[in-house]
Amino acid sequence: MADLAFPYVTAAVALPLAGAALAAANETRARMVSMAAAAGATLSSLGAFLAVERAGGGRLDEPWGLSLFSADPLNATFLLLYSLLTLGILVLAPRRDATSKINAATLLVLAATLAAYGADNVVVLAIGWVVSALPFIAGPFHGTWRPRVGLMLSCLALVGALGIIANAAMTDRSAHPLSLAALQGHNYGGAAAFAMLMAAIVFRKGIFPAHAWIEDAAEAGPVLPFCLFLNGHLGAFLLARVVIPEFPLSARGAFPILSDLALFTALYAAVRAVAEGSARRILALLVLSQSACILAGLESATQEGITGALVHCIVVAAATTGLFSVLRLMEVRFGRSFTAAEYLGLARYTPRLAVLFAVCGLALVGLPGTLGFCSEDLLIHGTLVSHPQIGLLLPVATAMNAVSLFRLFSKIFLGARAGGVYGVTDAVPRERWVLAAIALFLVVAGLTPATILGFRTQAAQAAQAPPHEKAGGPLPPAPHSAILAESCPAGICR
Amino acid sequence: MTDQQAMLLFVVFGPGVVFFGLALLWLLGWNAPERFLSRVTAVVYALETAAVAWLLWLVAGRGEPAVVVALGDWFAVHDYQFPLVLLGDALSLSFLTLTVVLVGVIGQFSSTYLHRDPGFGRFFLLLHLFAFGALLIFSAGSFDLIIGGWELVGITSVLLISFFHFRAGPVENAWRVFVVYRACDLGLITAAFLLHHVGHVSTFAGGMPHVEGGTATLVGLLLLLSAAGKSAQAPFSGWLPRAMEGPTPSSAIFYGAISVHAGAYLLLRAQPILLASPWAGAAVMVTGALTAVLGTLAGRACPDAKTALAYASLAQVGVIFVEIGAGLHWFAVLHILGHAAVRTLQFLRAPSTLRDFHQMHAAAGGQVTPTGKHLERVVPTRWQLWLYRCAIDRGHLDTVLEWMIVRPLCGLSVLLARFDQVGLPARAPAPAPGVVRGNEAIGKQGVLHG
Repeated sequence: MADLAFPYVTAAVALPLAGAALAAANETRARMVSMAAAAGATLSSLGAFLAVERAGGGRLDEPWGLSLFSADPLNATFLLLYSLLTLGILVLAPRRDATSKINAATLLVLAATLAAYGADNVVVLAIGWVVSALPFIAGPFHGTWRPRVGLMLSCLALVGALGIIANAAMTDRSAHPLSLAALQGHNYGGAAAFAMLMAAIVFRKGIFPAHAWIEDAAEAGPVLPFCLFLNGHLGAFLLARVVIPEFPLSARGAFPILSDLALFTALYAAVRAVAEGSARRILALLVLSQSACILAGLESATQEGITGALVHCIVVAAATTGLFSVLRLMEVRFGRSFTAAEYLGLARYTPRLAVLFAVCGLALVGLPGTLGFCSEDLLIHGTLVSHPQIGLLLPVATAMNAVSLFRLFSKIFLGARAGGVYGVTDAVPRERWVLAAIALFLVVAGLTPATILGFRTQAAQAAQAPPHEKAGGPLPPAPHSAILAESCPAGICR
Repeated sequence: MTDQQAMLLFVVFGPGVVFFGLALLWLLGWNAPERFLSRVTAVVYALETAAVAWLLWLVAGRGEPAVVVALGDWFAVHDYQFPLVLLGDALSLSFLTLTVVLVGVIGQFSSTYLHRDPGFGRFFLLLHLFAFGALLIFSAGSFDLIIGGWELVGITSVLLISFFHFRAGPVENAWRVFVVYRACDLGLITAAFLLHHVGHVSTFAGGMPHVEGGTATLVGLLLLLSAAGKSAQAPFSGWLPRAMEGPTPSSAIFYGAISVHAGAYLLLRAQPILLASPWAGAAVMVTGALTAVLGTLAGRACPDAKTALAYASLAQVGVIFVEIGAGLHWFAVLHILGHAAVRTLQFLRAPSTLRDFHQMHAAAGGQVTPTGKHLERVVPTRWQLWLYRCAIDRGHLDTVLEWMIVRPLCGLSVLLARFDQVGLPARAPAPAPGVVRGNEAIGKQGVLHG
């Protein structure tokens, strides 16, 4: 197996950790330190991304005897995207949201999330998962009780599941009992571990009925770090990284139920957003709905659906970062949280922020010419092929999301000017450049999606399940067509 | 690539390139002056008109084969491809010609009509985006590509309805139009998937995918849903008068000429599917006939010129639907071309209606005295009041849709919100200005803190 030329993933995790310590200690230069650390993490992630692309899509281990992390097509894009989004948020965050404490906690979330992405070891994965949630459970970002409970349950379920898996692997005298790569197809821990992993995903992703904490966290907590946390999509990543490779048959058996639940959540959140008043809750519900679509795509067992889901992860992350950022910038300018109760007419003061909000929103709901259109097209195709009746809910949910988003846009930016509003400034350069980069990425990648789709297709193949699971040693992976044939007897997937 | 193919590419993508260029420059901080925008628009559409006229002459005049441009797949995953195929046959080229000519005319008209309007640049940006979307619909060689253009036309339509966004009325109406568009677009998306799934191909450049029986009926009805939404046919007619909130030039190009006929084009393109299913064809005819009657009725009780024109337009499109359902393919095309041209002129003259009337009145020596009583004379008196109530409520269509769909959906949403709040204290009311919820600090209105 090939190695990376440099321990890029270790560097991407270590730099934000060091940056968090420095930012916490240095109040006056916290912002500069944080941006430098995030930029360092971005460069390291870019190094890993390019190395994986040069290697043609295989898995690359870290050099110098570091065996905690690895890079492959599935995690390389996540590493780069998440680092970039964190850097963007640190650059555009309003001054009141860029204190040393908040920046240090943001960098901690970044380091932990990157560790979870790059983990080649169940312990590292568990640590990354738990530490990324810590600031929202007991740290500076903690909110009301429901987010704390939801995240705690998710952490407990994951730690419990990974503990059971590691214990079973040790009992089975596996050569590398803690290595994720060595666990593929073994079904260590059986139904108990599988159920706990699924519970961790359900709580982390906010799948019905464990969805309400997402709204509460968005409403009461600091919105930019929460957006960053949500866009980690660690639940979907866990599904692709651990559940499908580790428990292929159990996963295949449970997928129809999970897929239906995810689609139901997508529709539930979409309906819920229709009459919601709070702007933050509306955006949270839209993210919830679109994130559930990602899970539905992953569980469709078709390559179109899985590729669409992996691309949609990128779209949701970029677009919702843009949306939440514009919302937060407008809140700071306007002086209060927004409700969808009255028209505020702020577009006359902030036309560029309004346009950037609209572009990100339209990309999120799949406007042609944006990357969202490609991912939605693949997602809808994949889910309709695997579940024709239930799959119809996906375009319905997306249509309702678009309606809610346009309502929110029109209430904030259009209509008669609200009384007492004066002198609201449009995007300042550091905000404009970050948001324009996000919007441009969504449009340019949408016009020329082949590159991203090609890379994500490799990731989809990497996330495909091996053919059998057993209590003993690993089996060689089956060709993709065999898996599709098994999951799709009619042959329409082929 | 042949000259014809290059020309078709130029016709379709020209407005798109102009839009992206101008939008990027605006985002980077450059506000294009009015004269620059007007001249660019004039030059682009003059060239487009010449190009499309040449193509039309080659294909329709000299009988050369249709121009097909296969640009490969936009994206492909496993066995699923999104083909980029443009088709320039006689039907496409008729609509392409109509579009570039009328957009050019509207561009020239608007450069004077919207002179010094704060939204001048925005209007022209959206006009180019609309033209790109419409040209994509009419030249698409696959249903997937039609969806792309369909959505672009929808979003530009909504953004132009809310053009005067400093008033709540246009914004509210734009939102309602958006709701109808999104709901009806589901028909096209699902139909495209079904054709892909059953016919194993979604392009029709080499002939329409073969479907028959129940599948043909289902696909036909789904396409009818989408076409009815875009062309404001019953029961979705209620959005058309709301769309009159936009500036007059956009009303003319969207609801007099291009957008309102896009649904008819879709059905014309799907003619083989409608012919394969008598039920779908009959549904198209019934929808068109109902809309024509409704449009005629409601149009007689409209208080303003643009809304009356909108209903007149709607009634004509209803008749066009009947023609399509009856299989009168080329008759419907001629009807569309004539209707679009006349209606555009009427819409553009709508702001001068009173002046025109007075001029006509004076020219006739003060003898023009409309009675307003023609059809009413043949209706029994006891029916007149009922019909009048039906006309002023525009056929009760919006009322029915609100009772059957909007209210239950909002009620369900509120119910789910209550379910989500179980175990929590009641949500606080909206905060007073200046007070921030949750962990946020107290801010001052309108002051930049970033």
